[in-house]
Amino acid sequence: MIIDAHLHVDDIPALGWKLAAGDCVRRLDEAGIEKGVVMTIVDAPEVNRQALELIAEACAAFPGRLEAFARIHPWYGDESVALLERAIGELGFKGLKLHPVTTIAHPAGEDTLRLIRAAAAHRAPTLFHCGDEPLTTPFAIARAAAACPDATIILGHMGGYFHVEDAIDAAERHPNLVLETSAMPYPAKIREAVERLGAERVLYASDGPACSPRIEVEKVRLAGLDAESERLVLGDNARRILEAVR
Amino acid sequence: MIVDALTFAHDGLVAALDAAGVDRAVVCPPRARGHGYDIANERVAELCSAHPDRLVPFARVDPLAPGAASHVKGARGLFLHPWEDAFRINDPEVDAVVDGVPVIVATGYPFVSEALQVAELARRHPETTFVATNGAQINISGLGQDDALIALDACPNLVVQTSGVYREDFLEGVVGRFGAERLLYASAWPRFDPRLELLRVQWAPAFDAAAREAILGANAVRLLLRSDSG
Repeated sequence: MIIDAHLHVDDIPALGWKLAAGDCVRRLDEAGIEKGVVMTIVDAPEVNRQALELIAEACAAFPGRLEAFARIHPWYGDESVALLERAIGELGFKGLKLHPVTTIAHPAGEDTLRLIRAAAAHRAPTLFHCGDEPLTTPFAIARAAAACPDATIILGHMGGYFHVEDAIDAAERHPNLVLETSAMPYPAKIREAVERLGAERVLYASDGPACSPRIEVEKVRLAGLDAESERLVLGDNARRILEAVR
Repeated sequence: MIVDALTFAHDGLVAALDAAGVDRAVVCPPRARGHGYDIANERVAELCSAHPDRLVPFARVDPLAPGAASHVKGARGLFLHPWEDAFRINDPEVDAVVDGVPVIVATGYPFVSEALQVAELARRHPETTFVATNGAQINISGLGQDDALIALDACPNLVVQTSGVYREDFLEGVVGRFGAERLLYASAWPRFDPRLELLRVQWAPAFDAAAREAILGANAVRLLLRSDSG
């Protein structure tokens, strides 16, 4: 079973972007992927007060195919936490997604840590955009991992173009960090991550539907992992993480 | 025919091209350490002369180095890496090394080779073809894509390479808006893996056969290998 741990559903007229749930499912089908995790591009409560509903409706339209992560802006204090509680407790979301470029909130800032801990109380992971921009680098997010040792923190894009070595180094130091492969362009680094961290800590994702889930699966296969490791990376790890949420 | 429009001269280059099914390649020196680019360029020329039907050398230069312009006279094309060689691509001193042959620019690096900075240089030399690596942007959030499109729109003498561009919608947008002749397949081997980079073109659902042929090879033959009889 293959699970794509990072796809987007959103409708942002200002950018001309319309990423529909149907697009995600079509691209999952093209790649032979059973299930995908979807999230918005922008955050609740700002700039989209309806971001949770948008994702909940997307998942409801494709039962059994889509799981939900909640993008929540950390600045809104009690309101942010309440949104997360509603997402996981009432709407069945499976995780928190944070993109500090859009929120200008440091990964280890108190507002952010509060959200990460609230997610972890449900055993829900926090997926960070982890690339080359300030506020998103592996060592910045590692500060959050150190502050929240009980939280599973996923480094989406595992460091982007120029911070992949840092991502693997950070994950070696913090056992609650998991690396996620989407968009990161180096198959050999997936293999290195598996060798240094263990296959249980590397997670396939595509960042679709604008990125190709099919190509992203092939990227994992080009890493040349053994069959057991490949099975974990492509699906079993995501299933384990999603099933743990309560 | 498949042409890799950017590779670097390291051991294993020909084997990597064979493994990916690539017919021909533009070859550039990697960053010179302990010697100048005159020596590095000679080494690349020697490598390519051993495979004249497959490898085409482009000369690399640090435009701020003394005598830079004289070092690249007669080159088939130029390769500039503002990040590794520490200069701003639109620095006026870069003008001296641009003499009409195609110029590949390592693009998308902050402060020194942003798409709009490359566009400034391209605007000053409208008769020269400029080739921006990485889709003219290298950002895992896609934050550089708009400037890349603005640069393509402003400079008809600018084309972009596919190297490392994970966003399928961006590649399709370049072709849809500017035509397949503005996009070139490149792997930047060994930085990226040609087996993966090729798929970005070969598996893109929106490209028809003619677009694929142009992106994978015909554009490079026309723009980069044009003085080549092989």
